Amino acid sequence: MYRSLIFIALSLIFSSCEDVIDVDVNTAEPRLVIEASLDWEKGTTGSEQTIKLSMSSPYFSTDTDTSVTGALVTVTNMNNNTIFSFTDENNGTYSINNFEPIIGDTYQLTVVYNGETYQATETLIASTSIKEINESIEGGFDDELPEVNIYFDDPIDEENYYLISFYEIGDMFPFFADVSDEFVNGNEVYYFFEKEEDEDTNMSPFEAGDTVEVKLYGISEQYYSFMRLLIEQYYNSGNPFASNAALIKGNCINPTNPENYAFGYFRVTEVDVVSYTFE
Amino acid sequence: MKHLTLIIVLFTSFTCLSQEKFSISGTITDANNGETLLGATVYLKNTNFGATTNEYGFFSLTAPEGDYALVISYVGYQTFSQNIQLYADKKLDFELQESATSLDEVVIIAEESEVVNIKKPQMSVSKLNAQTIKEMPAVLGEVDVIKSIQMLPGVTSNGEGSAGFHVRGGAADQNLVLLDEAIIYNTSHFFGFFSVFNTDAIKNIKLYKGDIPAKFGGRVSSVLDVRQKDGNNKEFELNGGVGLISSRLTAESPIFKDKGSFLISGRASYAHLFMPFIEEVKDDKISFYDLNLKTNFELNEKNKLYLSGYFGRDVFNLSSLIENTYGNATGNLRWNHVISDKLFSNLSFIYSKYDYNIVLDFIELDWEADIVNYNIKYDLGYFVNNDLTFDFGVSALTYNVNPGEIRPSTETSSINALKLDEKRAFEGAIYASAEHKITEKLALNYGLRLSSFSRLGGQTMTNYLNNQPVVYNSELGIYERGEAESETTYSKSETIKSFANLEPRFGISYQLNKLSSLKASYTRSAQYLHLLSNTSSVTPLDVWTPSGQYIKPQLSNQYALGYYKNFNENTFTLELETYFKEVDNRIDYIDGSDLIGNNNIETEILSGEARSYGLELLFRKNKGAFTGWLAYTLSKSEQRALGGNAGGPGINNGNWYNTYYDRTHDISLTGSYKLNDKWRFSSNFVFQTGRPVTYPNGQYNYEGLSIATYANRNENRLPTYHRLDISATLTPKRKADKRWKGEWVFGIYNLYDRRNAASVSFSQNNQTGLNEASRISIFGRIPSVTYNFKF
Repeated sequence: MYRSLIFIALSLIFSSCEDVIDVDVNTAEPRLVIEASLDWEKGTTGSEQTIKLSMSSPYFSTDTDTSVTGALVTVTNMNNNTIFSFTDENNGTYSINNFEPIIGDTYQLTVVYNGETYQATETLIASTSIKEINESIEGGFDDELPEVNIYFDDPIDEENYYLISFYEIGDMFPFFADVSDEFVNGNEVYYFFEKEEDEDTNMSPFEAGDTVEVKLYGISEQYYSFMRLLIEQYYNSGNPFASNAALIKGNCINPTNPENYAFGYFRVTEVDVVSYTFE
Repeated sequence: MKHLTLIIVLFTSFTCLSQEKFSISGTITDANNGETLLGATVYLKNTNFGATTNEYGFFSLTAPEGDYALVISYVGYQTFSQNIQLYADKKLDFELQESATSLDEVVIIAEESEVVNIKKPQMSVSKLNAQTIKEMPAVLGEVDVIKSIQMLPGVTSNGEGSAGFHVRGGAADQNLVLLDEAIIYNTSHFFGFFSVFNTDAIKNIKLYKGDIPAKFGGRVSSVLDVRQKDGNNKEFELNGGVGLISSRLTAESPIFKDKGSFLISGRASYAHLFMPFIEEVKDDKISFYDLNLKTNFELNEKNKLYLSGYFGRDVFNLSSLIENTYGNATGNLRWNHVISDKLFSNLSFIYSKYDYNIVLDFIELDWEADIVNYNIKYDLGYFVNNDLTFDFGVSALTYNVNPGEIRPSTETSSINALKLDEKRAFEGAIYASAEHKITEKLALNYGLRLSSFSRLGGQTMTNYLNNQPVVYNSELGIYERGEAESETTYSKSETIKSFANLEPRFGISYQLNKLSSLKASYTRSAQYLHLLSNTSSVTPLDVWTPSGQYIKPQLSNQYALGYYKNFNENTFTLELETYFKEVDNRIDYIDGSDLIGNNNIETEILSGEARSYGLELLFRKNKGAFTGWLAYTLSKSEQRALGGNAGGPGINNGNWYNTYYDRTHDISLTGSYKLNDKWRFSSNFVFQTGRPVTYPNGQYNYEGLSIATYANRNENRLPTYHRLDISATLTPKRKADKRWKGEWVFGIYNLYDRRNAASVSFSQNNQTGLNEASRISIFGRIPSVTYNFKF
């Protein structure tokens, strides 16, 4: 965080400029991407779940349809050996409507595609609840812009890891943050999301009537490591004060052909979802 | 041990031979301000007897009895000559007058006087006087020590806005930077745009890129030895400069009835005063200041005391987000004692500290960290005879590293207080070295340094399962933190881990003819302190950590070979050097390493190695209206880290990869042309291969975002870097009786407005959702004007 701020400050203070340029990049062989996020929203049964399969593509490729069909997707509860088979929707998604999430149970994902078998294992982690959500002006990065704040209690007896997403309805992308309780164990934790004016990207600050959807996921330490890196690289690529870009490997392995692992991740989480409309 | 025996044998044999000879010793100073002169040549005309002055201006020369003409010369000064009858040991001090034409004479001196340069075995060294640095064009009107050494071959920066410098493919933390012998841990202000050295307070700098003398140790790449001025002991003098970004003021004066002098110098930036008026930065503040102090007192002919100090601070506030201050503080009390006309000694008590504080308002966190060291050093110089001089001494150094203390900055903060373990260590060294002229053509430099390092207790260390702080997860193909098994608490009187290293140093020079010579050298050195940084640019918040249970000392071997030639009575000089350097136990960081607030750094690193090699060319014009140099470096710098104890292939699959500071080609051209007494023009041109970076090689969709994939570390490069700077100095005519002397310096940095990429970032366009590459260039064309004065 601090390191990105240095860079921002230097760019502001000196007569710097930013422009889009053409760069030649290398292209790796396409690889299977597994986006298997089994998220149990608090207050629901969690029985409806969707898994997405696609292929990776060249960095500057504009072909958005890389969906993978014809794969066999199953999830097994390793504690009671229940097998959940996902239905191929023929558009890159695989869905189910009778999934049974159980906190603390371990699940195994199996994807069979093109004669290769991919596997991943995760444990369903409980999440704490967002106990309060409000808006303010004075807090956040800028004292004159509105932000949305969330508050939750971190359990003191264990190491906890969270993924938070903020999504303003109508925006192209959500905003993600990774949080560990390393420095805040057992405390009330708060987190904010503020938007700044940016003409280049057509971003504007929050105003009355804007609705933000906030999700607080309880996640495993391994997934936290994955997302921390992914988030840092996504928002700070190329910044010389951020740690250097590297390949992020998820948990989807190929036991018979380890080199042919899949990108993406198989997560099983509990999530608290809250919406807030600015007044 | 072999080397030591050799030294003792040589030592005794030569003292026996020195019968019926007498010595002349003394100090050489500048007649105008009393500053001692380093590297002045003293010789007896029409003989081979000669000597050069040491860092304190002291010399000792021994010759058979007889009548001689003693000649003293120093570049930029009038040559002094005096007849002497040498029938007893003599103590003679001399003052040299600056030559009237000093400005259009040589100001660039690579090492001492040119003739000595060729004969001396010392190689890979560059010396710059403050005057030289001041004549180079500089960014934002502020001349700079670090920027000027980056114009030399084998020395490079890591891009605009990055702190430190890199020597012969070495990392920034592998440079020993000394200001009056005190270690400087962070050389930069403004994140690298300025260095901490105020040129008004500096006498000269010496950079050893290799062939490091045995009296220096503790870093594996280079030594930058910066010496402050002593202060004018003839008359009161005021120097200053007013620039756009910063201003400087220096006062010097004799004190204690001309038995001593002092210098006090201050420098401060004031850009932050204008920032409230600029909309984009009105809530921000970025500023720095520093203070230099030096005073000396001559107790008597044989004893002199020096006290010097430095204090610098940077302040960096970004609206209400962040408040950051950092800086160095050093102090040094020295006692010069002339034991005999052949034996010179210096005892130093040195203090050095670097600390930073950061307040992150938006998460209500306050963070502090520092490193403090105390150092006692006793160095002796024994001038045996014309052909042999010895340097020997001892050093004891303590470190206290506080890697971080975190506190909640408000009562409502959700941050828990946390103090990372303090780390204590002791570094001791003894050394001896000789400079030895074997024949008229052949000279040797040989020395040995024995260093020891103890990581001291007073903290708890974590023990890991299978003694593996980092473990390779072969299923996922990634490195992970090892499993903590137990803890061992060491009391303050216990030693956690000790190391000792023998560091031989060797140099040889062979004179091919009157104008050219060949030199070769070997340097082994050990480095016990490491700067933790997993980013391509060093930041002020990077933490130093001592070697210990999990981190081994870095060890380097450097081999160098050089050819030197003077043309046209030293008007031109050519230096050609080639080197190979290897460093063992270089820390490398696993993918996704997290160093911030981490008490167990060993879980984020692997022990690697680094190697670099290159060819350096320096062609200089030393005399005439036009002076300057062309420097070209062709080089390679790589590193790798194998899995070792952690298992697995290692970082980057165990393959060698380019370091961030690898530059295949690096060309620097600097020149200064004196048109007349009123106008002088200077220019710099820099051209170098782009910095190694890692670009994406693919993308995939995850959580609605386009995620980039990467392959090998640093296999791509930023676009080529090049830039031209110019400056013009106007010295208005003044009446001879007026003491006030002023000059205007007009400069333009990056004359043709090259948009050099400080970084290329890859991101998804918020509107189209498509990936794009953006270049950030920090400096466009920047004009500056500075007024300098002297009174």
